[in-house]
Amino acid sequence: MPAEVTDEELMARIREGDEGAFRHLIERHQDRVYGTVARMMGGAGPEVEEVAQDVFLRVWRSAGTFRGEGKFTTWLMSILRNLVFTRLGQRVRRSGLEGEDAVDEETGESAMDSRPDPAGQTPSEKVSFRELEQAVEAACAGLPENQRLVVHLRQYEGMEFEEIGKITGMSLTAVKSLMFRARETLKKKLSGYLTASK
Amino acid sequence: MEKKRLSEEGLGEELEGLLAKTPPPKAPAWFAAKTLARLRQEDVRKEKGRSWLAGWRWAWAAGATALVAGWILWDRPKAGPEISDAAVFAALDALVEQDEENRWWAGL
Repeated sequence: MPAEVTDEELMARIREGDEGAFRHLIERHQDRVYGTVARMMGGAGPEVEEVAQDVFLRVWRSAGTFRGEGKFTTWLMSILRNLVFTRLGQRVRRSGLEGEDAVDEETGESAMDSRPDPAGQTPSEKVSFRELEQAVEAACAGLPENQRLVVHLRQYEGMEFEEIGKITGMSLTAVKSLMFRARETLKKKLSGYLTASK
Repeated sequence: MEKKRLSEEGLGEELEGLLAKTPPPKAPAWFAAKTLARLRQEDVRKEKGRSWLAGWRWAWAAGATALVAGWILWDRPKAGPEISDAAVFAALDALVEQDEENRWWAGL
């Protein structure tokens, strides 16, 4: 399938039950969806994979409700937000949560291994990179859910505040306020890695 | 200028730089194939559920018929007890007689 086919065109085909178009759509957005779910749920693993799959299955089943009035990614991220927030709510309610195994049971491959490798680094640089990575993940995981989502969508997806507002169902001012609070928290938590605060 | 404005509204240049060094994980290579496999699996399961329902169609139909018939029988207007005129007059006579007897005993 040519790469220039738009998401809206793919969705029109999906509405007619075209599995090929669905596969193409998954391949196009899988990193975005998986990465967002992982950041929201604090790490990679089977649960993240399951929720990311749920997002695409919901896209397939709700294809008829997508009218193409807004951007596809906004619709996709709204589905993702609903599913992730529901899952996080269940997680809070569930007591005695067991530790999650980040290794895929079938292949033995860790989803964490599929991160972009910091190429050309010395072992000591790799250690400090892992340390930084863990510090950033811990700092992000410590943010309230809405702040975490706003930071991720802005920082890693490069979305405008208006679009984030549509996804989260909040006003522009509320989104900016969340961003401000998240920035202050992250600055405090990551102060050791920021040159200005040293 | 625009980039600086966006950065000020966002996390700030330094924090953004720090976060940019630690991108979120990418989807595993098997992700699309596994998602499609799960979709098919769930479709098959749904189809099985539907065919099970269809297989028990006669049972559903019989149960529904029994329920409807039972409800109709239960809800049918019931005929009241039939009392003959003679029985009514006899009962009235007995009442009058009883009344007269009561009055006699009372000395009225």
